[in-house]
Formats: sequence, structure tokens, C-alpha cells
Amino acid sequence: MANLFPRWTNFLPLKIAICAGAVAGGAVLAFTYYATPKTLAAGYQPSQPIPFSHKIHVDQLGLDCRYCHSFVDVSGHSNVPGNNTCWNCHQHVQKESPKLQPLRDRMDPTLKHADFGKPIEWVRIHKAPDYVYFNHSAHLNRGISCQSCHGRVDQMEVVHQENSLSMGWCLECHRAPEKHLRPLEEVYNLNYSDADVSKYSKDAGVKTTVDLGLKLKEHWKVAPKESCATCHH
Amino acid sequence: MSKRIWHHPEVPAGETTVSWRGVGQLEDSPAFRSWLDREFPQGVAEMADEADAETSRRSFMKLMGASTALAGFGMAACRRPETKIVPYNKAPEWVIPGKATYYASTMPRATGATPLVVTTFEGRPTKLAANTLHPDAAGTDAFAQASVLDLYSPSRSKTLLRQGQAAKRGDFEAVLAAVAGDKAAKLGFVFGRDVSPTRTRLAKELAAKFGSAKFYAYEALESSAAKVLGDGVRQLADFSKADRILSLDCDFASLDPQGPVTPFFDRRKPEGKTYAGKAQPQAMNRLYAVESAFSMTGGMADHRLRVAPSQLLVIAAQIARRIGLEGLVAQIAPLADAKHLEWVNVMADDLLQSAGKSMVLAGSRLPESVHSLVLAINAKLGNIGDDKPLRHVRSEAQGLGDIAALKADLEAGAVDTLFLLTPANPVYDAPADLAFPAALSKAKTVIHLGSRTDATAHAATWHVPVSHYLESWSDARSESGVYTVVQPMILPLYADCASELEILSALLSDDGKLVTGEGAEGKPSPAHDAVRKTFEGIAAKGSDAWSKLLRDGFQAGTSFETVEVAIPNAPIAAAPAAQGVEVVFATDASVYDGRWIDNGWLQEAPDPVTKQSWDNAALIAPETAKNLGIYDEIVALETWNGATGPDGEGEHRSAPLITVAVNGVELEFPAMISFGQAENTVVIPLGYGQGFDAEDKFGRNAQGKAPASHVGQVGVNSGFNAYPLRSSTTAYFATGASVKKTGRRYPMAVVQEHHAMYGRALAREISTIDSGDHKGGFEEQLHNVKLQGNDGHAPPNISLYKPEGKDGKPHLSDPLHQWAMTIDLSSCMGCNACLVACQAENNIPIVGKEQLAKGREMHWIRMDRYYAVESGNDFDPGNPALVPQPVACVQCESAPCETVCPVNATVHTEDGLNAMAYNRCIGTRYCANNCPYKTRRFNFFDYNKRNPLVAHNLYKGPFGEKQVGTAPHLQRNPNVSVRMRGVMEKCTYCVQRLKDAKIRQKRGQKQEALLAGKASPDSEVTTATLRIAVDSVKVACQEACPADAITFGNLLDGDKSTMVRAKGSDRSYDLLHYIGTKPRTSYLARVKNPNDKMPDAKWVGKATIHMH
Repeated sequence: MANLFPRWTNFLPLKIAICAGAVAGGAVLAFTYYATPKTLAAGYQPSQPIPFSHKIHVDQLGLDCRYCHSFVDVSGHSNVPGNNTCWNCHQHVQKESPKLQPLRDRMDPTLKHADFGKPIEWVRIHKAPDYVYFNHSAHLNRGISCQSCHGRVDQMEVVHQENSLSMGWCLECHRAPEKHLRPLEEVYNLNYSDADVSKYSKDAGVKTTVDLGLKLKEHWKVAPKESCATCHH
Repeated sequence: MSKRIWHHPEVPAGETTVSWRGVGQLEDSPAFRSWLDREFPQGVAEMADEADAETSRRSFMKLMGASTALAGFGMAACRRPETKIVPYNKAPEWVIPGKATYYASTMPRATGATPLVVTTFEGRPTKLAANTLHPDAAGTDAFAQASVLDLYSPSRSKTLLRQGQAAKRGDFEAVLAAVAGDKAAKLGFVFGRDVSPTRTRLAKELAAKFGSAKFYAYEALESSAAKVLGDGVRQLADFSKADRILSLDCDFASLDPQGPVTPFFDRRKPEGKTYAGKAQPQAMNRLYAVESAFSMTGGMADHRLRVAPSQLLVIAAQIARRIGLEGLVAQIAPLADAKHLEWVNVMADDLLQSAGKSMVLAGSRLPESVHSLVLAINAKLGNIGDDKPLRHVRSEAQGLGDIAALKADLEAGAVDTLFLLTPANPVYDAPADLAFPAALSKAKTVIHLGSRTDATAHAATWHVPVSHYLESWSDARSESGVYTVVQPMILPLYADCASELEILSALLSDDGKLVTGEGAEGKPSPAHDAVRKTFEGIAAKGSDAWSKLLRDGFQAGTSFETVEVAIPNAPIAAAPAAQGVEVVFATDASVYDGRWIDNGWLQEAPDPVTKQSWDNAALIAPETAKNLGIYDEIVALETWNGATGPDGEGEHRSAPLITVAVNGVELEFPAMISFGQAENTVVIPLGYGQGFDAEDKFGRNAQGKAPASHVGQVGVNSGFNAYPLRSSTTAYFATGASVKKTGRRYPMAVVQEHHAMYGRALAREISTIDSGDHKGGFEEQLHNVKLQGNDGHAPPNISLYKPEGKDGKPHLSDPLHQWAMTIDLSSCMGCNACLVACQAENNIPIVGKEQLAKGREMHWIRMDRYYAVESGNDFDPGNPALVPQPVACVQCESAPCETVCPVNATVHTEDGLNAMAYNRCIGTRYCANNCPYKTRRFNFFDYNKRNPLVAHNLYKGPFGEKQVGTAPHLQRNPNVSVRMRGVMEKCTYCVQRLKDAKIRQKRGQKQEALLAGKASPDSEVTTATLRIAVDSVKVACQEACPADAITFGNLLDGDKSTMVRAKGSDRSYDLLHYIGTKPRTSYLARVKNPNDKMPDAKWVGKATIHMH
């Protein structure tokens, strides 16, 4: 009987195994790298019902974060402003802008729009899972800036998620808070840098924000917790 | 390696106390022993045999492999779902998203309103607590705690009904307007027995507008005391002034309030309320109780006598005789039993010695004769007066007819339009001999306002869903008559809802227009205007006083008027002789008179005495059960090879059905053994059996009067209705009953043997007197509290745990806070308030009867109830001591659960909590297995997502029905994770409250820097800046406790903290101290303060619970 399988098939099972292994290994590696918050969550930049520009309002006009996010330093939750906050100015300013039409529909009774009196539904960008308890006020009142988590929102035309907000990322700061601690006066200054340090310390050895952070950590007895119940309960 | 089996400690030779939780344990059956060895009832958590386990594991792997592979195809998880943020359109004042806002309000009740502070999140009320500013504040009970669930309940009545069918609001408004326009209308109004000044005022206006209007009040469980004291008069007890208290069938601590009860419990603590002093027995009060079946009050008693209800008058007469009121009781037979006679005489002497500082309280269900006699006794003892323990007050709720008058008027045609505004359910719960439903059908129009579509709602022409008290404006009087406001937290959730005051206001208005919730253009409800007008008549006009009322919740300085009551001096007639078995119709601790039958938290909370959930049962003392020939059957079921399952436990547990025939009616009930109950007595809790569907296998709706439409999903098929046995003359006690076996059985959900602990001296008790045995005097017993049980002779533990981690940092490193708790058994009565409060605070689901029977209840606080009796007790061995002991996670410093978790889901925090990271838990349940206190609970199903109340629903997995309705999630506490299936959970000392307090404290740093005018890096931060103020944070159970039995605080506060002082008391001991877990929760031994002259004194105060 003739050989049914030619000689080259002798190593076929091994080749198949190697190929399959490589594919599987590749898939695992790709999954562990790409299927993480760093890849999946950071950079998320949905479009909003009104293309609100933080760059115009914060950088050019100089509004403080707390003008709109008014309870961020008293509540765990950072509130998104209600329509009446926008309407305070925009019933007088940019009255014709088509971008603001959804706001006028909701706030201007003379338009008699079906949406009158309804809130605007903004798309959520930063989201911690339900089983995570994060408190804004606990951080802001102890010298952690908005910028540490949200990035330079004042420079963003359209807001995107800057950081992964993964647990590992949270713990990086909880283990070394000095990298982000700053004087309470600078918490809402998203442009804080080494140049600002001299305002707060006469000590020649304190040159960088990290140097000042280390001092503050000791002086304010900042001891961020790492136990599970800090964020999960 | 074989599994190590724990051997229970042997019974020591000198042991005299016999203690038990359930009948099976008392009989020491093999089944109970095997139960103790297991974590869950047989068959619940295990595979039947090895082979079964093997195949299951394989098929599990196959399925998991397949589903993982399939999951890859969809890649559904890769795209993040878009979620929305919906801010307010116009932000309301005071609401800060994510932060709780607190309002003062009140829960109106017939026994006196409960002043409350309501926690709201973005306008949703989620949690209730007592308003501690209020002069009548006395914690809360389980009903008050659970009432917030009713607001969101899917069983709540939501739409108008006409003749039981959904109707349009416009049609009802037209009917109401027609009534309001007809001044000659023959109207009748039936109110509840709660006192609302505004309602009283509006009723007067209604009487002026409608000349022939008549007013009535009705509740199912009314007191006959008012017939003795006078119209609208009630007795008010001040427990702080009473050294000696006798309760004649009066559960004043729990179901039958007589005045704010916290001062009573303050005097159960020998160190004083704040634990500031040394233990002094003379500072304690002494409680005598004479009752038929165990009540929470009876369990607290220093001396307790169990007698059949017919004997209560005889005993009251004997007291009268002893203190010199022979003239009153000449017609009443003397007390025959010599032992009882001695008991009563010595007790009466003690009352006499404390004359002016004692009180005799008669239960509200006792007949008029006993109330008259007790009034005379209290007057003779000089206990009544302004600075005396008792006084009488008159409320404005006067001139209201009772249900018999209503029936007569209905039949005579004096009322043709009837407004049923009472929270009771008269078609279901009125005495059977009145034939109330027939009388009701004589009225032309019956308008029923109620929270449930119950029997009365279906019998009425119109049913109007009532606004919950958290949705409406009203006012009420607390126990001593302090004017207290009821303010809405939220607009009514459903458009058809109306409140009582809104209906009355509509009738008073010219056009009869019904305005509910909010008027046009944001005008407040007419009820608001009515309340404000009443308030202006009571206090001052102007917005300052009104704002203060809304802030504080009450008007200081207001009260009922004190009145003098005529003391009876005519001889009191004897009661007809009792024959046969006596029946007591009892208030139920879960459903009260039946009004809470659709409240899942209350239904699932085990009865404090019987530990039964979801049903009622006829309770019978063990000796009587033996005589009736049913004891063996009950015990047999709990011991070996029960009738329905391999061991008759867990889901297979059942009780024999008996028939009880009395007043010419015969009904079936499951029978339960009840210890400490009077012989020859059957106690039947009322309020169950209101509606049945096709799942009912017992034909409980044979007469067709109780269809499923009368209840919601919680109350359906729950229990047995005892109201048909009641007549107006035998409303609470009946004699001449006969009891028969039926041979059938009924499945029961009883938690008394679930999660039992082993070990010795779990609950400890001492006595203030030296009873001549080896236990010695008070000082010696106090000193020996810590040495009871194994703790006396077990060598000190050497811990294998190191107190510091690998980095050399101590595990408990927090220099600011170290949390701990004490629970004082001397003031804990076991009432379930903490258990329900915990459920509300921590988003704990209910699991339903079927799952509960399997031992899968989710309550984080397990309310253990032990019985104990001294061997050799020759006074009454059938009257054991009842010792409750709430056990939640005790936060061991060396926690056995933490070391066995394979994924570090339960770990210790720096401040001493044994934390649970739910998202990390994979559900191995090793921790629960290794927990010596059995305080961990496992989510066998997704109880929050799948409705456990639909029959067999949980087993349908993803195909099961979801939680019904849109409202229940609104009650959830947003700061606590809702746990899913396969996750372990337990108490973590309300960690969310601790976090909130700490974060609030940290904000102070910024405030201080701002005030000092310094740059923030220069501001000083000290321990005082960051440590929360002493005792400023309260956990949910502590806040709810009417007895102040729970203290909680920071160990680092030292003696400034009440908790630390309590821990320093000699009575403090650790549960299972000898196993070396170093729990953070410690218990304080119960102290009994017996009278050494009493015949039973030497058997009192010995109920240390030894579980061997």
C-alpha cells in the first residue's frame, strides 16, 4: 500500500501546535494589553448634546471649576450644572448660537418647545464602577487637584478621559501622594507647576511640586489608606 | 488527611443551667447535633454524594468552557455602554447631589406618634431614625424602621378603584364635589386612633358644615382602658420615676407602649445610663411581669409569673386585697394556687414599700374590670400625680363613636356616605359577631382611603390610594402630647394618591375640588395650609415659629392636658368562670394587626419569641401540647426522620395543623411549642391570612373571602386568619376552646436553629442578690462575669498571628480611629428594631419564605433567642428565662475568616474593621465556614435583581421575573453596594457612615486655614483636626435601639467615649473569648434585680447560656 501521507506531513502536527500556540499566546497578550481601562477607558471622548468648550469657559473667560461644579468640595459627587446655571449667562450671551438651541428649547418659555423644563442629558465620561465609592470632597480638601485625575480640562475643546481610573492607577497615588499634593489654594489651578512652589515655601530645598508635596504630606498628616474598605463598601 | 472535627466542650460537673434555642436542642436530638456541625441545613449547600459531586463538577467545567468561548463571539463587553448624567433643570435649594439631607418628621400612630429624622438623597427618603431632640424620643421600633419600605412597595395601592375595578380620578372628583355641595348629606367619618390636631379641627368644621355628619374611630386592636379613664383620656407612664414596675400582661417595652420607654432601659443598667459610675444594684428598677405568653417585656422581667388570661383579674384582686382594697374585690374569688399566692403577696408588699415610686401597668387588651382595679391600686399606692410615675392626660380626639355605634348608625340609615379613613381594615378585622361587611353594604357610598387594596378596599364603593406619611402634610401628638409635624419628603409617587387631610379639605371647600400633592403653579397642598392654620392656633403666628417647627419637627412646651380621673370605688364584678382551653388573640410583632402584611422586611424579620417568619402559628406550652398529644409530633419532626424530608429541617420543616374551635367557629392553625407560656392556653397572633392564590395548598381561602387581590406579592399565602374567632366581647381572650389534631402538616420557616454558635457562656446573666449557692453575692458575680464558661479555665491564648505586617507596620495602624462596639444584654429586649434598621441602611434583600426555610436569610444581625432554666427549679420549671442576644459580625482583630479567603476579599482595615470587598469575592464561602460566630451571609441568588417572591422564580435563572415595579430601588442607600449573586456579605459597622464622618472632619482643615487667614501649607493639622468628635457617629442599629443597648465609638477616645466606659465595666465580656479572636464587639452581661423575699428569687439571674 502506498504511503497515504507524504513525508512532509510528519511534522505537520508539531507545526499546527506551534502556530495555534502562537495565535493563542498572541490573543492572550493582546487581551491583557488592550482590554484594560488604560486602553479602553482613557481617551473616551463622546460628543455631547451641546458642544460645550471648557477651553473657552475656563481658559479664556477664567471661570473657576466651582462656578458650575458647585458642590465638588462638599459632596462626594461632583455635580454637573443644571440648566439654570447655563441660562444665567446664556439668556443674554450668544443668544443666536445654533449650538445652544437645546438649552433655549428647555429654558425659554416663549419658544413653547416640547422639551421645555426638561434637563439636558449629558453623556457621562468619567465613570467609576458601582462598587467603587469615590469622594471628590475628600480629595479636594486635602490638596489633590482636579487636574490630577481629569487632566488639563481647561485646555480641552471637547472633554475626554485623561487617565485610566483603574484601581492600580488609584493606588499609585495613594502610595505616593506627594506627586499630587499641592496647597489648597492651588487645587483649582490646573496650571500649577514648579514655578508656583516658591510662593508657599521659603525653604531653598523645596524647588519642585514634589518637594512641596512631601512637606505637605508630613505637615498635614496625609496618610492615604490602601485597605479595601477605603473604596469598596 | 482527614478533616478535623470539632468536639463540643463537655458539660462541666457543677453545671445547673439548662439552656436551649429550640425544642430539638432541648431534647438533644441527633439531628440537632448534626445541624450544629454544618453551616447550612442538609441538602442546601452540598452535593448528595461523591459521584454526584464529580459529575456536577465536570458538567460545570463543560458549560463554563462553552460559555467562555461563546462570549468571545459577541465581544459585547468591549464597547462601553453610554450612560447619561441628568442634572436638575432648576436646582432646588438645599439639595446637594450625593449628599444626604435630613428632615424632621413623624410617623403617626395610635399609641403616640414616633418623632423621626428622615434621611433623604436627592429627595428620596431612604432611612428613618429617632428625632433625639424630641422630648418623647425613645428610639424607633421595627415598624417605624420598616415604614419607609411601604412608600416604595410594589404592593402599594397606586390607582383609584371603583367597586374593585380601576377607575378614573375625574369620576371620583365629581363624586367628592357632589358630596361637598350637599350640606344635608348624611356623612360618616371613621378615623384611626392616632391624634392629629388638624384632623380634629377639620372634623369640627365638617360638623359645622354638614349638620348630620357623624364621627367614629376604629382600630382593630383597641384598648378598653379609655372606657374606664374617660373619653380621650390615656395613662402616661414616666419610667424614670418608677423603682418597681408590675406589668399585668402589658408589653410596654414593645407592642403596647405606655410612655417613652428609654428611661426604663436606662435603669436596667446598674452603672447608669452613661456607664459613668460603678455598678450599683439599688439604682436599678425591678420589673415584675404576670402574663400568659412571653412578650418582650416579660423576657426583661426580674420575676415572671405565667398564668392563663382568666387569672389576671384574680391576681389583680389579690394585690388589691394585700394593699388594703378588700372592699373592691369582695366578689372576686381568692387566688387558689398557693405558690402564686405567695408570689403575689410578696410582690404586693414590695410595691407597697415603694409606694409613690412604683407603677402597675395593665395591658391594653385586658378587660375593663382589670383596668378599674389597676387604677384603684395605683391610686392607693400613691403612684398617680404630677411628679409621680403615672399621670392621666386627655387628648383632643374626643366624642368619636366606636365600631358598634357605626354599625348601628349604618343599619338605621343615619349614615349613607361613609369615609373610611382608618388605617385598619374593618371588613377583615372587625369582631366577627358584628357582621360589619353586611352593615357596610347598607351605606350608599363608601369611600375608603388606604395604602393597600385590602378586603375593605374591595368592599368599598371607592378606594383611594393614600399618600404615605412621608409624602403628605399632617400633624400628630407624640405619647405625652407634644405637637409634632408630619412633613412630606417627596410628592406622592402616584398621581391618584390623596391624604386624609386633603380629602377633608376638599369637602370643606366650596367647590369640593380635590387637590393632592401640589396645587396649581407650585402652590402647596391644602393639607399644608390646614396644618399651618392649626399650628398658628397652638403656637405663634409668623414664619419664624413655623420654620422652627419644620426644622425641629415639634413645638416645645406643648402637651396633652393633665386630668384627674375618678378612682373607682364600687366593688368590681367577678368574671365568668373560665372553662376549657383559653385562647389569647395576640398582636403580632411582624404584621401588628395585619396592616404590615405586605411589608417584606417585617414579614421576614423573625418573630422575637417564636423565631418564625412569614406565617403565624397557634402557640402552645409544652405540657399542654403533651396533653393534647401533639408534642411528640412536633419534636419528632425536629429530631429524627421527619414526615416530609430526610430530617425535617430547613425547607422540609413543618408543623402539625390543629383545629381551634371557639365562639362557634372552627379554624385550622399550625401549632408551635412555646416555652414559658401558661398551660391550657393557646396564643394566636392576628393579622395573617388575608389573601391566597393558586400556590396555596391548604385551602385557606375555602370561603372565597380572601382572594389574592387583597394582598400584594409579600402578603399572599402568608399565615392563617384568626379574626373570625374573635367576637366583640372576647376580642382578646376567649375561653371554652377545644383543640384537635388534624393529621396534616404545614411547612414553616423558623430561624431559631439557623447559624447556631457552639461554645460556652454565650449570653451571660448575673443576679444582684446572693442566693446562697456557689455564685456568691453581686460583687463576686460581677467579678466572675469574665470567667464564666470556658473563660474561667482555658489557658490564655497564644496567637499565631503577628500584630504587624511584613513591612513592620502594625495591622491596626490608624492613629486616629479604632472602632469598637458594646451590646448591653441588660437592656436589650430582642425587639428586631436593629435588625430592620440594618436592612434599611445596608440594602439587605429579602429572600422569601422558601429560601429562608433553607437557612439563607440575609439579615446581618441575627437576633438569637435563648431559653434557660435552672435544674432543680421547684417554683415553676416550665417558666424559663428568655435571653435575647443580637449577634452581627464582631470584627475580630484576629479574624478566622480572613486567613481562609483565597482571594483576599475579606481583609482588615487599619482602623479595626473586618472589611468585605464584594467585587473581589468569588463565593467560595470558606470564610462563613470558618466564622465561629456564624455572622456571614451568602447571596445564593441574585435577590436584588430576581423577584424572590414569585413562586419558583429564583430557579429560573435569567428567565426568571425581574423585581417588579419601578420604585423599590429608590429606597436603596447610594453609599452601599448592592450585592449580586455569589457574594458573601456581613456587617462592617456601617463603614459608609464612618467614612462620611471622617471625610466631613477632614474638611475642617480647610475651614480652619481660611479662618486663620494663613496660607494652607502653614496651617496646623493635629490629631484633633482629623479625629471625629467623641461619639459623634452612630451606626444604624445603635441609632434605632429604643433601649440604648448598643454603644459604638472610637477606642482611642478613651473614657470620654460611652463605648469605652461600657467596655470598662465589669460586666463586659467577649463572645467566645477563649478561642482568641479578639472581637471588637463585646457584650455586657445581663443583670437581674430580683427581690430576695420572692419564692422564685433563687432561680433568677442564672440564665447564662451554655451551649455544649
